Amino acid sequence: MEKPFILHMLTTAKNLSPFDVNMAMDAGWVSAIPYTNVEPSEVQGLVQDAIFSRSQKNLKRTGIFIGGRDTKQAMDMLKAAKRSMVPPFEVSVFADPSGAFTTAAGMVAAVERELITKFNTTLEGKNILALGGTGPVGQAAAVIAAQAGANVRIIGRQLEKAQHIADMCNSEFGDDKITVSAGADADKAEYIKTADVVFATGAAGIELLSAELIASAPQLKVAADVNAVPPAGIAGVDAFHNGTAIAGSKSGAVGIGALAIGNVKYQAQNRLLKKMIESDRPVYLHFEHAFEVARDYIKATA
Amino acid sequence: MEKRSILHMLDPMPNNSPFDINMALDAGFDVLMPYSNVKLDKVHGLTQDAIFSRSPSGVKRTGIFIGGRDLGLAVDMLDATKQAMVPPFEVSVFADPSGAFTTAAALVACVEKALKEKHGKELKDCTAIVFGGTGPVGIATGVIASLAGADTTLADHLSIDTALDVAKEYNRRFGCNLRGTCASSEADKARLVATTDLVFCTAKAGIQVLSADVLAEATRLKVAGDVNAVPPLGIAGIKRSDSGAPLLHAVSAEGAVGVGALAIGNVKYQLQHELLESMLKTDKPLYLDFRDAFNKAREIL
Repeated sequence: MEKPFILHMLTTAKNLSPFDVNMAMDAGWVSAIPYTNVEPSEVQGLVQDAIFSRSQKNLKRTGIFIGGRDTKQAMDMLKAAKRSMVPPFEVSVFADPSGAFTTAAGMVAAVERELITKFNTTLEGKNILALGGTGPVGQAAAVIAAQAGANVRIIGRQLEKAQHIADMCNSEFGDDKITVSAGADADKAEYIKTADVVFATGAAGIELLSAELIASAPQLKVAADVNAVPPAGIAGVDAFHNGTAIAGSKSGAVGIGALAIGNVKYQAQNRLLKKMIESDRPVYLHFEHAFEVARDYIKATA
Repeated sequence: MEKRSILHMLDPMPNNSPFDINMALDAGFDVLMPYSNVKLDKVHGLTQDAIFSRSPSGVKRTGIFIGGRDLGLAVDMLDATKQAMVPPFEVSVFADPSGAFTTAAALVACVEKALKEKHGKELKDCTAIVFGGTGPVGIATGVIASLAGADTTLADHLSIDTALDVAKEYNRRFGCNLRGTCASSEADKARLVATTDLVFCTAKAGIQVLSADVLAEATRLKVAGDVNAVPPLGIAGIKRSDSGAPLLHAVSAEGAVGVGALAIGNVKYQLQHELLESMLKTDKPLYLDFRDAFNKAREIL
């Protein structure tokens, strides 16, 4: 009899996200076992416990998922998990804290699609404002877009905090090969004048970009909003928009709403969870891989 | 349709061990339910909740697993489940905190086998030192070896008081005859290794406990077993798959052999697997602890 697929799901939070549990089961994992309140220092012990109780053949049917809410912590835990492997006792690991990596990947891939199909251009060299960008989704989106060649500015209410987050994105997630910059929310009227793309990744129910600012953006092409709860994060972009023209934009910008992004996010997370099962060699998955599969999905449906 | 088999996994720690989760699913349990931060006084209620929601035929498809890191507590929890049963509403229970019972049972049984095969001796003829002797696997190893007749000493790497306290506590609890000592320096280890017949190495993964220099001091060492599978291994010169292979660095101890972590791990694996399976196959409820694990390990070998 074939052994069951077991996904050990680690989170630093008090509970797993039911979203991730559903996703794991639907991707083909038979048992999803929660480990909650996990300290990063406990990762090594948990990983080594998981790898030494199955044969190499069945380790292919074993995986580790890292949730939680903090992106840096999740990446650190992913690295710790990788370091804890004792080949050939090794399993695949996928980090997606708060679903932020796959959400960010879904958003950036959807934005890229609009740039290609509506504006005949790419992310390369585009000026991107990540509004409310200091949270997990904003951070991951900034890094993914910067790695694709865009000039990304993370906008936060406090410049100092935004700068700190931008520095962390560059050094921790971008290996110092990218330069994400920072800006204060108070100055966004200035920044919007040169923005090609806007990501809105703030807390639900806060308007980050008003109709006036949209109207004052001469080169805005795509505005994407992950917030599904009214009021919309970007005036004129609702949850159902998917490349829909934004009323009041003088530059002909289009909007992408939360449900369109959510669809790509869903596909990306599903594909990565399946990749863990299907891969012959252990894989270590994070935002970069999420972006790859999100792009694949978009290409496949074009 | 036959009811799905359910294993309720009670753990006093914040989380279950992924090792036990893999093992339980691989042994054929359909559904695992983790219960974490379980206190001893909650065991009675949890047990009765588990037994009264299924018919007597359904309880056969239900089991309780007790994990954690504390051997004494695990045995107390096992006793508490037993007292909570209301026949015919009764389920099988298996205590294996941190896999310590099955690891220790496999370790002692493997060393016993090598001792018999290579030196024609029994555990009761021998003195034994357990390095890492105050951790879960170390204590279980000491208790099993002592109950099998070996003159056994638990060595703590920091404190003799810890070692003495642990020895006293488990002697009282299980009627064994453990001693305690401290092995913090190379000199301490050399002194202990010089005069022992058996070494059980149960220290933390990835830490070398016995160096080549310390092993060179051994004069009557017969068998050394090491459960550490993460390099550097616990005993210099041992290989993970060794099963009675000569101990290279024990140059003054004639015929000394080693048993490595994978050799022990294979037996442990089979042992835990069979014990978990027996919970599903049995007609009468089973209560399994380290004694059952050791009997089973001897049977397997």
